[in-house]
Amino acid sequence: MTAGASGAAARRPGSHPAGGPGADVLLPVPGEPTVSFSISFAAGSQDDPPGKEGLAYLTGLMLAEAATERHSYEEILAALYPLASAYGVRVDKERTTLTGRTHLDNVDRYVPLLTDAYLRPAFDRRDFERLKSDAINDIENTLRYASDEELAKAALDAFVFADTRYAHQPEGTVQGLRSITLDDVREFYRRRFVRQNVAIGIAGGFDDALAERMRRTRGELPSGDSAEPPPITPAPIERNEVLLIDKPGADASISFGFPIDVARGDRDFYALAVACSWLGEHRQQVGRLFQVIREIRGLNYGDYAYIEAFPGGGERRMPPVNVPRRARLFEVWIRTLPNEQAHFALRAALREIERLTAHGMQHEDFELTRTFLAKYSLHYAETTARRLGYAMDDRFYGLDAEGHLERFRRMMRELTLDDVNAAIERHLAGRRFKLAIVTGTAERLGSALAAGSPSPIDYATPKPQHVLDEDREIAAYPLPIDADAIRLLPVEQAFER
Amino acid sequence: MTGIIPYPAHVDVLDNGLKAVVMPMPSNGLVAYWTIVRTGSRDEYEEGRTGFAHFFEHMMFRGTERYPTERYQRILTEIGADANAFTTDDLTAYHVSLAAEDLETVMELESDRFRNLAYSPADFETEAGAVYGEYRKSRTDPLFTLYEAVVETAFDVHPYGHTTMGYEADIAAMPGLYDYSREFFTRYYRPDNTILFVAGEVDPGRVFEQVERRYADWAPGYIPPPIPPEPEQRAERRIDVEYDGRTLPIVWLAYKIGAFDPGDARQVALDLLAELAFGETSEAYRRLVLDEQVVEFLAAGAGWNRDPGLLDVYARIKDPDKVDYVIEALDEAASRHRAVPPALDELAALKSRIRYGFLMAFETADRAAQRVARPLAICGGLGGLEALHTAYAGIAPDDVQAAAETFLRSERRTVGMLRGRR
Repeated sequence: MTAGASGAAARRPGSHPAGGPGADVLLPVPGEPTVSFSISFAAGSQDDPPGKEGLAYLTGLMLAEAATERHSYEEILAALYPLASAYGVRVDKERTTLTGRTHLDNVDRYVPLLTDAYLRPAFDRRDFERLKSDAINDIENTLRYASDEELAKAALDAFVFADTRYAHQPEGTVQGLRSITLDDVREFYRRRFVRQNVAIGIAGGFDDALAERMRRTRGELPSGDSAEPPPITPAPIERNEVLLIDKPGADASISFGFPIDVARGDRDFYALAVACSWLGEHRQQVGRLFQVIREIRGLNYGDYAYIEAFPGGGERRMPPVNVPRRARLFEVWIRTLPNEQAHFALRAALREIERLTAHGMQHEDFELTRTFLAKYSLHYAETTARRLGYAMDDRFYGLDAEGHLERFRRMMRELTLDDVNAAIERHLAGRRFKLAIVTGTAERLGSALAAGSPSPIDYATPKPQHVLDEDREIAAYPLPIDADAIRLLPVEQAFER
Repeated sequence: MTGIIPYPAHVDVLDNGLKAVVMPMPSNGLVAYWTIVRTGSRDEYEEGRTGFAHFFEHMMFRGTERYPTERYQRILTEIGADANAFTTDDLTAYHVSLAAEDLETVMELESDRFRNLAYSPADFETEAGAVYGEYRKSRTDPLFTLYEAVVETAFDVHPYGHTTMGYEADIAAMPGLYDYSREFFTRYYRPDNTILFVAGEVDPGRVFEQVERRYADWAPGYIPPPIPPEPEQRAERRIDVEYDGRTLPIVWLAYKIGAFDPGDARQVALDLLAELAFGETSEAYRRLVLDEQVVEFLAAGAGWNRDPGLLDVYARIKDPDKVDYVIEALDEAASRHRAVPPALDELAALKSRIRYGFLMAFETADRAAQRVARPLAICGGLGGLEALHTAYAGIAPDDVQAAAETFLRSERRTVGMLRGRR
């Protein structure tokens, strides 16, 4: 099954570089007292040269958190301060996006600062040293030691996309970051931040003059190449494979999944969105995984399923914008739980997925979920800045005529149960998984997984008989994993190179 | 419309003491429906009961006779609402973001659970496990670990001495406290301790009608907790924390300050002082973060609390050998502000920042609610927030210096130092 088979043959996400005449996104909201900006470049971590993982990320930071030719970073902070405005950057695998928002009163003071950031970066050495050392610290200390859930998610992504340009996280690796020089950053900027690669978005209470002023900045960028990036083709997963990140003292945080070949715009994407929401809408209690693992058994704080990348899930309730990708996973996130319950929770989750793929969604669940999503998706873009983010992502996915959110709501009306169950069958059924688990008991968990031994759990307090009966089935649920398909990675080596 | 809040608020108070604040505003067809209980971890004054306000927040999702959890969830699902809750030291907020046409449905559900919450001991015990899971997730964050130790050291008797999560031993013992949970509900979940905040595309008159219809029979009877006042601190305190993992060292300075009071210029000036002394345009930030680059992250803020709380300054230090150096530099910043009032243009820039930051926050109904919830809970109305912004405008450089002289003193503070395992 390919994306083309579900009606998207004319379009390849991300295959046309953002830019060129007409690529701008204008989203006027008359009467709104603020203006939101989004400047997106076809420059992402997939463009990092081997050995320089983190180059796009550092370059993005050198635009958004450093000096320009006109002002030191300190002067920029001082100038933005009274406006209560800032601009920030998200560097993802495909795109570097600068975003910001200011009050209409302050547009004339804000816009020159914002546009200088991408037109006239100074690449100051002191800024570079600061940002590089922060970026290394973020991996060495924060990612490895202070956020097990994000670590497991990032590790899964790297595990699945190994040997592709998506293999390393956008923030790079410790060794990659260490090897990057200021000249590397200058060169990356020179090559990628060209007029053919930019899309400019503006939303809110702006007028024509401001729109024109923003658009004109494209012409100030140099002309350059916009080479099409090579395809992202993750290796097929032939058997279940496990990466155990050995972190002494840690509880267990689990992410697992496999690649799926669907994208925004495909009918199957929306059909899978229904199935995935039923299984585990992010931060919602209705999902099946949440019910089984948290609501009934109280094992952890939450359990969710995804068909698109969702970085920073611990902090955000709604999907991110500016994370457009050409390749993606079906992914399950099991939040931190005691190590001794990890095997059980994993079985419980996999068993639910198997039940879904074996029996399909039931009519009542389907109706409820699509009704839910038709309205819940209003929350995906509550603010003008987020609507702008979705519109910019629509450019990436080639959804110019009908945007993703509009299409999403239409699909919630049009899809049938058969559509959803067919999509489940095509994309989720009979698949093998890659699993990434951060745990303080890697050896023991690894042995238990390889042995496939039963994983009964005890409760501090009595549970109803039907729960205990189901527990027995879960505890013995077959989860075939070969001993040689389990790899242990000491946490201090995670994202090292 | 007067004052800083960009949309007019309409207020109604029922005979049972329930206050409803309604703020019509453009919001893309969405409405924010917030139920704010003026109880948080501050109210956990009893031994062994820390973390209970937060735990109870979880129990509020465990249903009533009329709407058992499944039915409650199902209805919220059918209308695609985004519902959740959070607990802080001074308040617990239950928030629903919904399409305007579903307001009555949500009011039916919310009014029912606040009046008629009923859950089984089994549900109670299960939820205790989820709360423990939340604690597990939090404690992997070194900042949380340090914060937990700092407040415990800073306060001798006041419940601000424990975090909203509670002590781990108390969390572990929660499953056995079913009866206490019912008592907690009876004491604090009362209309005279609750404020409804409704914002978005709504008609205030119709909302008030519905509030009257659905909440009027909710019996008042809030029992204020006998919270022990914290004795005055007379000497600096220090706490060293070892983090079970790797981290850059973090230093946390917590100065004792007064309760939220827009009528007290020194207290209001503290908000400005924290920014002027340690914010991203401050001398300390410039020196430590940008020039010398010995600090990765520096932030500060004065707490808005019902009872006297803390002004917090914290910094993540890049070089473990520079910890004392950084503390000295932060001390120098404090003593500079005790000695010299800030420049007028610095103060003006900050006032402008606060004003625009506030105006830009009213972007959606839900964000408006996020912005007003705490002052609403602390003051019992929006007047405190308006008064605060009026007071900001009148703060002179001397007020900032006076605030520094009074509060930024070593005998009023706790110094927390967290280091990772080497």
